[in-house]
Amino acid sequence: MNTLVKVEHLSKEYRLGVIGNGSLWKDLQSLSAKIRGKQDPWAPIDGESRFSRRDRFWALKNVNFEVKQGERLGIIGRNGAGKSTLLRILSQITAPTEGTVKIRGHVASLLEVGTGFHPEFTGRENIYLNGAILGMSKSDIDRNFDEIVAFSEIDPEFIDTPVKRYSSGMYVRLAFAVAAHLDSEILIADEVLAVGDIRFQEKCIGKMKDVSENEGRTVLFVSHNVGAVRQLCQTGILLEHGQINEYGDVGMVLQAYETSLRG
Amino acid sequence: MSKETTDEESWDVLITAKRKWLGLNFRELHQYKDLVKLMIRREFVSVYKQTIFGPLWFVFQPLMSTFLYMFVFGNIAQMGTDDIPQALFYFSGTMLWTFFATTLQKCSDTFVNNAGLFGKIYFPRFIMPIAYVANAFFTLLIQFAVLIVFHIYYVARGVTFNVSWWLLVMPVYIVQLGLLGIGFGIMISAWTTKYHDLRNLVSFGLSLLMYATPVVYPISSIPAQWKMLFQINPVAPVIEMFRYSLFGKGSCDLKMWAYSLIVSVVVFLLGLMTFNHNEQTFVDVI
Repeated sequence: MNTLVKVEHLSKEYRLGVIGNGSLWKDLQSLSAKIRGKQDPWAPIDGESRFSRRDRFWALKNVNFEVKQGERLGIIGRNGAGKSTLLRILSQITAPTEGTVKIRGHVASLLEVGTGFHPEFTGRENIYLNGAILGMSKSDIDRNFDEIVAFSEIDPEFIDTPVKRYSSGMYVRLAFAVAAHLDSEILIADEVLAVGDIRFQEKCIGKMKDVSENEGRTVLFVSHNVGAVRQLCQTGILLEHGQINEYGDVGMVLQAYETSLRG
Repeated sequence: MSKETTDEESWDVLITAKRKWLGLNFRELHQYKDLVKLMIRREFVSVYKQTIFGPLWFVFQPLMSTFLYMFVFGNIAQMGTDDIPQALFYFSGTMLWTFFATTLQKCSDTFVNNAGLFGKIYFPRFIMPIAYVANAFFTLLIQFAVLIVFHIYYVARGVTFNVSWWLLVMPVYIVQLGLLGIGFGIMISAWTTKYHDLRNLVSFGLSLLMYATPVVYPISSIPAQWKMLFQINPVAPVIEMFRYSLFGKGSCDLKMWAYSLIVSVVVFLLGLMTFNHNEQTFVDVI
């Protein structure tokens, strides 16, 4: 099987606290002091440099894994374990500090449902806009339009109404429906199913499983819902403090996760 | 092993810590061409959604400014207009200035206004400045049509204009003004992610800069000892050239144009560098 995603020695460091002095004026004062060879007027009083080690924090540290075509990988871990940071790097939203990610094919990432929806636009207009943001071409959307509307279970009567008048459930269903019909080789989904009712969640998981099995598409799925991960994924990664703690069969990983929750 | 090496070369996306400086990925922009179109439409339409006058707003604003300038600068202050009818003089000045100022202002807010979108999904960030400048350009086209109507009206009333051959260069200096606006805008946008105070400075600075640009007065009315100041303003020659092209009055200086063109291209390239350098990590600092 083809490897579609290869993550090597991936690390991401964040700086804690305020970046710079918090305002341009103070930064300019620091700069002018530096040029004149004087002491930085805004340096911390204990003499440590502003960028000292204790202000740094590794959200991810030396993460390595591979995802093969058609694989459904679940990424689990407690809050702050680095799951979202990992997905943000994989989705090219932020750059890593060290290491590389190699990707073959187009990535569609769903870090939030309805990103780029414009409230003043109608459901129809938003399907096109959201689809394009996710990387679909107009002809792709034309072809899938009726299917998207049917999947979202929105009454076709409402499709030409601005989405600001939609109920939050309708909004979410429409947004997921667009994403579910993407033609990308790799789908990254983060907690998107936390919204919407149980029945629609089931339907979404079914859809993801379906496209993976029938069209060979790869899914990277983050969720706190152990049941959903077990249902959808074959392999899993357990993240703890930015490092991979367990990697392999989903049953084993979930067991390790549950032990760590209790322990 | 040979399969392994071909595998290594066939990656579509490579994500590393390296930050790029120059370069626009035209192939990628082309892939997202439908998004570019939709973003332009989104920007354009959201100006007049749920308004009574709809697209007429694109014309109201410069018309109101023109009336105001005619009253304040033309009638009360009695400032000259190089013998160009006041309505044409102020309208042409204000539409070009608005094109530049809107482009700059919108582009300078690229990261701050789209933080939610950029923080959740990847698409070429440069699409947003493209959408902003395209939107400002379409607004300019609509206003240009109105200007032509005015022009015809004055010609019908017997005013003669010496339309100049500079009219042929118009596409060049309009594009140049757009580049200057984007360039400054995206340069500031990269800095505003860190220093939000720049946003206030931009709107304030632009309204001041308008008075340092021949929008409400012609360059010819400036005393000789101050002319130098106007020569460093790269927007000034464009507005003068625009009026000279259409009405044959005012000044048109090849040297000034060349200077303004060079400044615009340099500012655009510097802006692109700053923008590229920051687009990958701005979500961490905003």
